[in-house]
Amino acid sequence: MKAWILLLLGLALLGCGQDGQLREAKKNTVMVEVTSQVWDYRMPWNPGTVSSGRGAGFILAGKKIITNAHVVSGARNITVQREADPRRYAAKVRHVAHDCDLAMLEVEDEAFFKGTSHLDLGGIPELESVVSVYGFPIGGDRLSVTRGVVSRIDYNAYTHSGRESHLAIQIDAAINPGNSGGPVMQSDQVVGVAFQGFRGDVAQNVGYMIPTPVMRRFLQDVEDGKYDHYVDIAVRWMPLENPVMRRYLDRPNDGRGVVVTDVFSEGSADGYLQKGDVLLSIDGYAIESDGSVRLEGKPVQLEEIVERKFAGEEVRLEIWRKGKDQTVRVPLKPADMFSMYEVLYEPPPRYVLYGGLVFQPLTANLMAVMTGGADLRLKQKYTMFGTDQMYRETPEPVILSGVLPDSSNVYLRGLAGQIVREINGKRIRTLTDVGPALAANGERTVIRFEGDARPAVLKRAEVDGSTPRIMAQYGISEVSRTEVGERRLAKGRGEKGEEK
Amino acid sequence: MALAVAGQAAEQDEPQGSVVRVRAAIQSYDQFRPWQKKAPYGLNGTGVVLPGGKVLVTAALVANRTEVGLEKPGSAEKCGAEVEAIDYEANLAVLQPERPEFLKGFKGLALGPALRAGDMAEVWQLERNGELLRNQAEILTVGVGRYPNDEAGFLQYGVRVSLPKRDDSYTLPLIRQGQLVGMVMMYDRDSQEGTAIPGPMIERFLEDAADGKYDGFPTLGVSWTPLRDPNLREEVKAPKGGGILVTRVNPRGTAGRAGLKEGDVILSVDGMKLDEDGNYRDSLYGPTAIGNLVRVRPTVRSKARFLISREGKEMELAGTYDRRARDEVAIPTLSFDAQPCYLLAGGLVFQQLTGAYLQEWGDKWTERAPQRLVELFSFQQEKRADPEKKVVFLSQVLPAAINLGYQQYSGLVLEKLNGKEIHSLTELAAVLDEAKEGNLVFEFMDDPGILVLDAQEVRAQQEAIGQAYGISEPRKL
Repeated sequence: MKAWILLLLGLALLGCGQDGQLREAKKNTVMVEVTSQVWDYRMPWNPGTVSSGRGAGFILAGKKIITNAHVVSGARNITVQREADPRRYAAKVRHVAHDCDLAMLEVEDEAFFKGTSHLDLGGIPELESVVSVYGFPIGGDRLSVTRGVVSRIDYNAYTHSGRESHLAIQIDAAINPGNSGGPVMQSDQVVGVAFQGFRGDVAQNVGYMIPTPVMRRFLQDVEDGKYDHYVDIAVRWMPLENPVMRRYLDRPNDGRGVVVTDVFSEGSADGYLQKGDVLLSIDGYAIESDGSVRLEGKPVQLEEIVERKFAGEEVRLEIWRKGKDQTVRVPLKPADMFSMYEVLYEPPPRYVLYGGLVFQPLTANLMAVMTGGADLRLKQKYTMFGTDQMYRETPEPVILSGVLPDSSNVYLRGLAGQIVREINGKRIRTLTDVGPALAANGERTVIRFEGDARPAVLKRAEVDGSTPRIMAQYGISEVSRTEVGERRLAKGRGEKGEEK
Repeated sequence: MALAVAGQAAEQDEPQGSVVRVRAAIQSYDQFRPWQKKAPYGLNGTGVVLPGGKVLVTAALVANRTEVGLEKPGSAEKCGAEVEAIDYEANLAVLQPERPEFLKGFKGLALGPALRAGDMAEVWQLERNGELLRNQAEILTVGVGRYPNDEAGFLQYGVRVSLPKRDDSYTLPLIRQGQLVGMVMMYDRDSQEGTAIPGPMIERFLEDAADGKYDGFPTLGVSWTPLRDPNLREEVKAPKGGGILVTRVNPRGTAGRAGLKEGDVILSVDGMKLDEDGNYRDSLYGPTAIGNLVRVRPTVRSKARFLISREGKEMELAGTYDRRARDEVAIPTLSFDAQPCYLLAGGLVFQQLTGAYLQEWGDKWTERAPQRLVELFSFQQEKRADPEKKVVFLSQVLPAAINLGYQQYSGLVLEKLNGKEIHSLTELAAVLDEAKEGNLVFEFMDDPGILVLDAQEVRAQQEAIGQAYGISEPRKL
């Protein structure tokens, strides 16, 4: 008798689950309309081009509206709208995490939340289980629902940031522009945020969602009022599958451990781990010889343990160093020295203008507009910057990104794209070095570049005369913008080569 | 398309007895699998019979050949040929028929004078029946430009000519008044423009080859930049008018050994004044780039004189022309005809870096090839200036039980084996052979830094791995 009732109850719940999911999703999914402005790194003084787009979002407890970072990047105006309410409400970005493509919006007008409840976060759905995707993709203006199954759970590149990889779940429901930021639901819980897919000519029925561990990390991170970056242990390691390699490192052939092959200067492990250390466990999880650990019964890369932590927290590593077991506690921090590879959205481009010469720090954004035009030396600087830890010498390489044609610089135009080595004898390590170096006394300013390019020589008096003319001609109101703001940059070594 | 004048009878010359068909069977080595060759193919060109019975073609026609054959126009009579001298930079080669009597009765074509822009000439093609097609050609430009396998540039003719599609057109002679005045080396069917190797280049090449020992064209071994910018002139204290700024000097090269330094202003070479763009006034061609002055006019071992300005002071420097800046390098740019060297150890394939290996990655090799290799090759003078220090690298791992866990690695530059620095495959082979037992510790420039194999296992497995992958020779040094 008892069992029978339970069964009925179960059926009822199931039925209610489907209806309930749709009802709850309808109530709490919002359309996000955004007008954004994208900086133009070809003309860094310009405010950029305006475009508009549409995405989705959903309401979590505490009136938090979650969407993708890429939906609201560079937003100048955001409105949100619910299925049940024709009005559009102004919204603001409260937190944005470009590294994991998540953002939290807030709406001041309480009326917006009338008739909403909130959605709850679930766990990681099982492979082949069915999920529903809610959003406002191209093809219409009303809420759209598509269903699919969970195809794969794995690390994947998060394309928005250009350099990050985190856990992502692949589903076979199509994810199209406008789906971004919308909830992916299973029964009545959110199990993901739809965020990226492939172009139709590359692959079909492949969509990706941000799983709840990544969302929970984001929510926890912003509890203190600001978002910190993901942390990175900043080492390279190599699997220890080869028995001879194991023998060389004096390790038994027990299938455990990986060997550290590089420790990045300025990274979390700098000063804690060394090349040749064998990592045996991380926070108590045994590390297999391929670098995986068993987390909740599933094999994941050892970095996943680090991924779930926050800046300032530690990981405890059991290591084998020089024939001895040791325990090392590594305090974690973001890998600021690689921030050059991050695509920047909000901060205005930094630059220095001098007699029509435009200097900019090397960034992913600058490379994106220079490719094709960029010569091999610049391309190599960009690709090898991290690997070769060039940030120790030049934390922020400065590029002569362009020469604004003027009668005073006709012979200098061919130099665009060169990497600045020194100005007036002063080594240039970051953009902030440029201004003081240019201010040096002397009749001529001499700019030298890396490699065998000719130097650029300008007469100070001519530059003083040409600058106002060039600024007027090209509509430039500020001669430079160098403040770093909240950008995290590599530190590099001091003038004499010692650590700062 | 303008119609070519076919089979037109010439008043003053007899084209028969001056050209032959040249058929080359080409098979180049596979740089990615250096123990094997790629699929063979054939190239057909029209060679010029020289007085004396040798045949002139472009080097590109016979590069990586397995066989070269000559065929008389209008008959099926054939004869094999040997390459007697070849210069890939200048893109010229002389062939010697295996049977000297084969070209008996061929009068051959003598070299004619240099041409100037505006001159008219003919490009000769062969019809199937052996008749000549004589296409009117106009010399559009005469200047220093890039050759297919040379980065610095030689004199070339820009030619406008409408060439119909014919067999045997990979190399074609440029003729004027019955004399050879050039060899067409490139042709673009859309614009109907091509480039030709000028007669004076051919003359220099033949003179050099005549003694049976080919020296090649000298190089200066400097990078330079024009000195038009008055601010730059002031900065480097250049005297009034003329001169170019030296931005890099190869200490081994002609200029480097003569004492030229970075920052010097070259005012004249061998008494010829240079203008701000690096042109000298050629008696025949007018303003012509320095490349012709220092590469084609002098020969290897002839004297070089430089008038330079250093820090505002003029001085004379003397030296001897040679090719050391080009030939004495850690990573050679060109490698034709020769099998790339390699060494197999426990499935690890080691190769010595060449420009040919990088080019195997295709047009976008600078992006697609391993970046460390691209860097060492492209910035060789900064990164690998010592010509004795060849770049040995792990090009791939042929999976086998012995190299489990290493199979994902490729493109890694080898620095040491068992603590000994490795500067060539020969050195690597010697250190390998010395290690009878124990670990073989390979140290690489980049991540993962170290790979370790067991010396005895490597020796024991060598044959089995070779057999599994069908590689009969474990090394070619």
